[in-house]
Amino acid sequence: MKSSPKLRPNGWDALAAAVVLALAVVCGALFWTGGEKAGPLTAVVSADGEPVDRVVLADLSGPEERTYTSNGYTLRVAFGPGSAQVTVSDCPTQDCVHTGEITRGGQSIVCLPARIVVQLEGGAAADGGVDLVIG
Amino acid sequence: MKLTTRQLTLCAVLTAMALALSYLENFFPLSLAIPIPGIKLGLANIVTLFALYALGPGQALLILLARCLLGAVFAGNMNALIFSLLGGVTAMGVMIALSRLKRLSVYGVSVGGAAAHNCGQVAAAVLTLGNTAPLYYLPVLLGVSLFTGALTGLIAACLFRALAHTRLWEA
Amino acid sequence: MKRLGALLASLLLAGSLTACGGAAAQEMQSVQVFAMDTVMGLQACGGETEAALAAAEDEIYRLDEALSRTREDSAVSRLNSAAAGTPVDVGEELHDLIARALDFSAATDGAFDITLAPVSSAWGFTEDVYRVPEDAELAALLACVGAEHVHLEEGTAVSLDQGTRIDLGAIAKGYASDRMAAIYQEHGITHGIVDLGGNTWVCGGNLEGEPWQIGIQDPARPAGSLAGILEASDAFAVTSGGYQRYFEENGQVYHHIIDPATGRPAESGLTSVTVVADGTAGNGTMCDALSTALFVMGEDRALELWRSGVYDFDLILVTEDGRLLATAGIADRFRPDDSAGYAYEVVS
Repeated sequence: MKSSPKLRPNGWDALAAAVVLALAVVCGALFWTGGEKAGPLTAVVSADGEPVDRVVLADLSGPEERTYTSNGYTLRVAFGPGSAQVTVSDCPTQDCVHTGEITRGGQSIVCLPARIVVQLEGGAAADGGVDLVIG
Repeated sequence: MKLTTRQLTLCAVLTAMALALSYLENFFPLSLAIPIPGIKLGLANIVTLFALYALGPGQALLILLARCLLGAVFAGNMNALIFSLLGGVTAMGVMIALSRLKRLSVYGVSVGGAAAHNCGQVAAAVLTLGNTAPLYYLPVLLGVSLFTGALTGLIAACLFRALAHTRLWEA
Repeated sequence: MKRLGALLASLLLAGSLTACGGAAAQEMQSVQVFAMDTVMGLQACGGETEAALAAAEDEIYRLDEALSRTREDSAVSRLNSAAAGTPVDVGEELHDLIARALDFSAATDGAFDITLAPVSSAWGFTEDVYRVPEDAELAALLACVGAEHVHLEEGTAVSLDQGTRIDLGAIAKGYASDRMAAIYQEHGITHGIVDLGGNTWVCGGNLEGEPWQIGIQDPARPAGSLAGILEASDAFAVTSGGYQRYFEENGQVYHHIIDPATGRPAESGLTSVTVVADGTAGNGTMCDALSTALFVMGEDRALELWRSGVYDFDLILVTEDGRLLATAGIADRFRPDDSAGYAYEVVS
């Protein structure tokens, strides 16, 4: 069983390395296609900074309502094939309801009292490619 | 498998060395340079590689299993056992197969083992998380294994040269 | 020779490892923080990213407590609850911040005012229980409003006149953005975005080496629709607008930016004010204070202050009559959004 190994790298080692490299490239092509940003339009709901739900809006055929409770407040969020909107909230400020419908990647609805954020990711290039929106 | 006292002692010493190397590795956190969870230099692979050639696959596997089990016990993290076992056994399988191809040198076997180790770890991550997200890291991990594999191969080659005169394993 | 070769090979390997790491580490890391009555987003890359973000988050929580009016043990609360005229030692940080606030009040003829909190409370904007106060109630409250009721005493002490209460809400986020900038710089962050609920600081441009693209919300359209896009690599930018928080009663809209002169929501003909300044330390606090003050002051007085050169800043204004104005200093970095339909003018 025991064998004395070859100690100098040779062409066959290069071949082995090339196989691993090729494998890496194939995996890259398989798993990285499109990249994260260009994925389908997805709503990510987080409560207190922790993601609690993901809804792939592009997959929805009709409207769908879900409720989220956090920090003592309950929000009803309506998801559509390309949009998300807080329809009802028992929070005192109603800022989340005022925000209205969001439809593009990068947009978000924030409910501070409930500490809930509904954020859209992916979809077509958002807002002409801005990094953040103020105001 | 029947082991002579000499073989048993050698296995024990090598297991201890593998554990020490795993510990030593913490001082070279590759994850700082490449921010991927679980990325490592894989120095303990030097021992596996050495044992494979010097003692044969049976004892090499024995050392590997002992190392994984003891490492998990010392770290107090049984979750890590799945990762190191799946990674280690996959690497071992590939290295046994590659070492039978007499044309490959230590370097080729080592690179193959490193790549297999990473595949095994990603598989463990996918299994434990129940989520395919870790696959995203695989291409990078495979690329990195070219370098880490060559590095462990280099160290192992130096080791074999240095120990060639001892005939340590030919008793 | 053999050893030299081996050494060279291992050096090469080590080199390629770090090179590979450098490329892979080029990814923005981010955290979300709920504090100061808003949601904050911090992004960073380069340097000690994780340490910087952790320190930044801790600093936000510290400031949230230190500058809070509602926490009983904060220096602000001690000052507000002390008997009239009693000097209260508030510590160097708060003393300096109050001194700067008084300067902003003087420079804006009182349009910026840290003593306005009792009036905001009467409208329910601090307690989130909205109502329209009676004129008599507002008149009584306004008697205690004004920078002249705040006195800087010896050392780091401050005293207030009878009935006067201070609230640093109108500059706390701006001051926090200054602190964030300092923390990022201490940790060698090369690319960063700090968005403290509309108080923004950006540094270093994006990972492709281009300036950050900051969208300015169109006050007339739903969230995410823009009035224009501002390019900036190292800058503070703050937007104030009545659309940000408001309530309706009997068909009338009441927004949250109160004019200290009347005690009622400011009616200055502006719907949004964005103040932009370079990344110089202290400019975050300035932008925050001025954005509120200039919204109250209106177009003419805002541009007058800009032209005076007292402070170094630029402006993007949206008016009720459908105009979008940018001052000359940033006109080459600002692109109005055509779909917003504003008449765009560059002011010099």
